[in-house]
Amino acid sequence: MSAAAQLASSGLENRLAALEAEVRRLAQSSLEQSTRLEQTTELVLGTGQREKLSLIVFSGSLDRLIAAFVLATGAAAMGMEVSMFFTFWGTAALRRERVRVEKTLLERMFGWMLPRGVKKLPLSQMNMGGGGPAMIRYVMKKNGVASVEEMIELSKELGVQLNVCSMSMELLGMKPDELIDYPGRSFCGVAKFLETAAPGKITMFL
Amino acid sequence: MPIVLLAKALRDAGRGSQMTVRADDRAFPEDVKAWCRKTGNELVSLDNRPGYYEAVIRKA
Repeated sequence: MSAAAQLASSGLENRLAALEAEVRRLAQSSLEQSTRLEQTTELVLGTGQREKLSLIVFSGSLDRLIAAFVLATGAAAMGMEVSMFFTFWGTAALRRERVRVEKTLLERMFGWMLPRGVKKLPLSQMNMGGGGPAMIRYVMKKNGVASVEEMIELSKELGVQLNVCSMSMELLGMKPDELIDYPGRSFCGVAKFLETAAPGKITMFL
Repeated sequence: MPIVLLAKALRDAGRGSQMTVRADDRAFPEDVKAWCRKTGNELVSLDNRPGYYEAVIRKA
């Protein structure tokens, strides 16, 4: 081999090695890019767009409350963000068993007619003067279904948000101290509900 | 209800830890499958035993 040919081949080898290094560098960077993309997607799906369930609980009957809390705890277990909005008879259903608060005569009259505590709630059908709810509670216990009181506790643990309509509190003459304890409970109006529910996937009126 | 209890129990478990769940709820097989798909946890096995279902779940 002439000296010139040797020189040319070593030049080619050098270029080949440089190309190889370049390819390796590109592969590495593309791998890094795709990992970053995956992480970003995960971030967006994981936190930015957590699916939402919004429930309006209008009814204050035991059966509807059972349905509301089964849905709420189930959705929270599925990793959804759950907000419950209690209004009208739903608000009244959140009353404690017995509290003394300052009230006007009209407010007190309302208070006599509203249920005192979740345990006193009627059924929407087959109430039979309180016999229906007692039967439902018995059957639920027998089948190992959690009671509404237990489901409320579960909701607290799973981070279900509880919002109470301030207008219905006023209409029913209820005071904040009359409501059951619930961490993070807030009073709200229709604007707060709409803001919460609008980007959500599921909204129900119970 | 078994799903809620499962979710609650698995919440404090570490990644990769496994849990065996027994439930007599007829809806359990479909519910646990849906729950795993939704939450990304792995359903290792699901068996129909006499009187109950048994599922093994690995936390993702």
